[in-house]
Amino acid sequence: MTTDTIIQTRGLTKRFGGFAAVNGVDLDVARHSLHALIGPNGAGKTTVFNLVSKFLAPSEGTITYNGQDITREKPAQVARRGMVRSFQISAIFPRMTVAENVRIALQRPTGFSFSFWRGEKVLTALEDRVDELLTSVGLIEWRNRTATELSYGRKRALEFATTLALDPELMLLDEPMAGLGQEDVHRISDLIRQIRPNRTILMVEHNLAVVADLADRITVLARGEVLAEGDYESIAANDAVIEAYIGGDID
Amino acid sequence: MIEFLGIHPGLLFGQVLIGLINGLFYAMMSMGVAIIFGMLRIGNFVHGAQYMLGAFAAWALLNLPDLFPGLGLPSLNYWWALVLVPLGVAATGALTERLFVRRVYNLEHAYGLLLTVGLALVIEGMFNLWFGAAGQQYGVPDALKGGLNLGFMFLPIYRIWVIVAALAVCIGTWAVIERTPLGAYLRAATENPDLVRAFGINVPRMLMLTYAFGVGLAGLTGVMAAPIYQVSPQMGQSIIITIFAVVVIGGMGSIAGAIVSGIGLGVIEGLTKVFWPEASSTVIFVIMALVLVLRPQGLFGKETQAHSGTDISVSRRESILENGRIWLPVLTVFGGAILPFIVYPVFAMKILCLALFALAYNLVFGYVGLLAFGHAAFYGASAYGAAHVAAVWGWPPELALLAGVALATAIGALFGWLAIRRQGLYFAMITLALAQIVVFYAVQASWTHGEDGIQSVPRGTLFGLIDLGDTMNMYYFVLAVFLIGFGFIYRLLRSPFGQVLKAIRENEQRAISLGYSTSQFKLVAFTLSAMLAGLAGGTKALVFQIASLADLHFMTSADALLMTLIGGVGTLLGPIVGAVIVVTLQREFAGYGAWVIVIQGAAFVFFVLFLRKGVIGSLEDWLGRRADRKREAG
Repeated sequence: MTTDTIIQTRGLTKRFGGFAAVNGVDLDVARHSLHALIGPNGAGKTTVFNLVSKFLAPSEGTITYNGQDITREKPAQVARRGMVRSFQISAIFPRMTVAENVRIALQRPTGFSFSFWRGEKVLTALEDRVDELLTSVGLIEWRNRTATELSYGRKRALEFATTLALDPELMLLDEPMAGLGQEDVHRISDLIRQIRPNRTILMVEHNLAVVADLADRITVLARGEVLAEGDYESIAANDAVIEAYIGGDID
Repeated sequence: MIEFLGIHPGLLFGQVLIGLINGLFYAMMSMGVAIIFGMLRIGNFVHGAQYMLGAFAAWALLNLPDLFPGLGLPSLNYWWALVLVPLGVAATGALTERLFVRRVYNLEHAYGLLLTVGLALVIEGMFNLWFGAAGQQYGVPDALKGGLNLGFMFLPIYRIWVIVAALAVCIGTWAVIERTPLGAYLRAATENPDLVRAFGINVPRMLMLTYAFGVGLAGLTGVMAAPIYQVSPQMGQSIIITIFAVVVIGGMGSIAGAIVSGIGLGVIEGLTKVFWPEASSTVIFVIMALVLVLRPQGLFGKETQAHSGTDISVSRRESILENGRIWLPVLTVFGGAILPFIVYPVFAMKILCLALFALAYNLVFGYVGLLAFGHAAFYGASAYGAAHVAAVWGWPPELALLAGVALATAIGALFGWLAIRRQGLYFAMITLALAQIVVFYAVQASWTHGEDGIQSVPRGTLFGLIDLGDTMNMYYFVLAVFLIGFGFIYRLLRSPFGQVLKAIRENEQRAISLGYSTSQFKLVAFTLSAMLAGLAGGTKALVFQIASLADLHFMTSADALLMTLIGGVGTLLGPIVGAVIVVTLQREFAGYGAWVIVIQGAAFVFFVLFLRKGVIGSLEDWLGRRADRKREAG
């Protein structure tokens, strides 16, 4: 069943001991939108993100994906449903080559992954697609380098290529701009624009200029609860949001 | 006399009493292990040896005049020992922390365990050399002699004293940790050492004192146990495995949890002795398995977030040393045309069997990053399986070997399924404890023939054609098995499956986010490793025509670890090099009794502290540096 909402949470709550890091969050992410999750430090953005991607189990509440309840599913299961996340620290396989990093993602749907008796050859059919993906993120000339040798910005690009290899319906980006210089921020912004068509992206991001530039819809979290939701103009004009960000960097 | 379920109440209460005392000892020991793990992140395998040290120190104090004649030393009795020994053992703990343990804080957990395994072997081996394997008697102190006759049973006063004193120690420790400012700092430092450092607390000293305190508790337990058990060099090794199981059951979460689970399990063990004596030695390990299925984090443990595997492989991918296309032919030619003519073929077969065993172990430890510590179970189970079907049912060698491998694979799948629920150090504790079940089974079952093992296993005729009774025929068969195993592993590492294993080792979270159910991949790898370990064990049973308890013993698991460590963890050739070194060492020192154990323990310590990359890893480093220099020059 398909609906206009790809991911929906109701009453999502996560407690660590007695402390509710996330408290009763209702989130609706519309299909083919770019939805940003912002808020001051400690607002619970990353916790919500980890709950939605199933890397944390919620204390209460439900999560549905394409209308199906995934509250009790494992992270690898939801990844196979088409929801693929990134990580704040660049998520690459450091000692594999750039090409192998992408190939390991392409390999997963082939059904060969448990074939311990097969040679590497069965994977060579994937090489063309690997090169296509590496070209699209501008890494083709690095394809045979060890991933750890790449600059920080290029590691991000490699992570994108790996994620795109799975052709995910929903991409969850955890602070994609964290730690990047201005030039790399532009590069990654362009990449995000490039991959947007026919995809949904849920993104946690601190860089509000990027959010203003890219996001269709924004949810503001504060103290584990939803403070406001809307497009950038309405959020920027919201008194509660401005108050929550006092001393912060909204401009 | 009233009987309960046909059991004499004297027997029932007697065993409950012994169970209670054992349980209190478990509680005191596991508190120490839990405190040390919580603060230092070290799985203190040497805890058992430190307990043994306590018992021996008490015995030595009593026998000072005999041990050091002519010095005019007094004999110091139990009460002196109760005060002096814990302090003395704690002091050796502080020294151990300073000299050894401190150096591995910033390394992967695995190294802390390997280091303490080495220390335990050195200590236990030394005591074996000094005092022999036989136990020493330590009499009950005069003031606590005698007992109360309760009508249905005789209650020795010493046991009442132990219960009261041990309970007081448990409650006292709990109160210090949970109810005092000092304990609050300790708990805080467990959560966040940097923050505590910012409070102006000397964290290195606090870590040293914590270690000393945990070790002192083990020493005190040893003193209290001395009048009840024989004081022997082996007393530590059996208890530490039980303690690890207790810690897995209780979870490391709380001191109260350690106390309650220790006492509870001791009593359950005592009751099992009454109602089902055969099961009493395994009941704690079976409960552990059940807890892992029903509540993996332990009865009192907190839910922990998924923890990544560890990447401790030291190989460089482009190194010539990792290229099996070169090494498989080299090994074939060397093994076929040279090896049996420069050493005794039987010795060469021993090397090949153990090298295959180490290769199998390296698959999980080096290439998946799982710290398994019970591979003797698969090696030994296959040896017993193959020996039994060959000796009793008259199966030909090829089928006997297959039967052994099938048994090892089945046990490997079961143990892996249980152990995969926990990560890191717990994985080591669980596999160690599960392997212990197999040991106890082999001691008691009739088909395994207890201490004798299965002897005079016929080598038989391979495929009805080749007589393996001939040494060279046997040798070439073993060589073929070894080469098949080596080729299998090399192919696996380069297969699509091997790619996923590599990805899991390098970044498990990311592998999950790409949709890989990493536990399933680990389980398959673990099962394949068990299968290959079984191939090695079954072959060994045919070569030496015996399956014995030594094949299942914890030391055999430790051998696999040591061979892998010496050769180079996660390298293609490391386990083979390690096997050559270890087997040669074992042969050279075979005539010197427990010296073998001491040397192996010292090798663990040396390689962890000074040569973590092992022989092959260091060689690869050197080759890598040379290649870099060449590239820069050219």
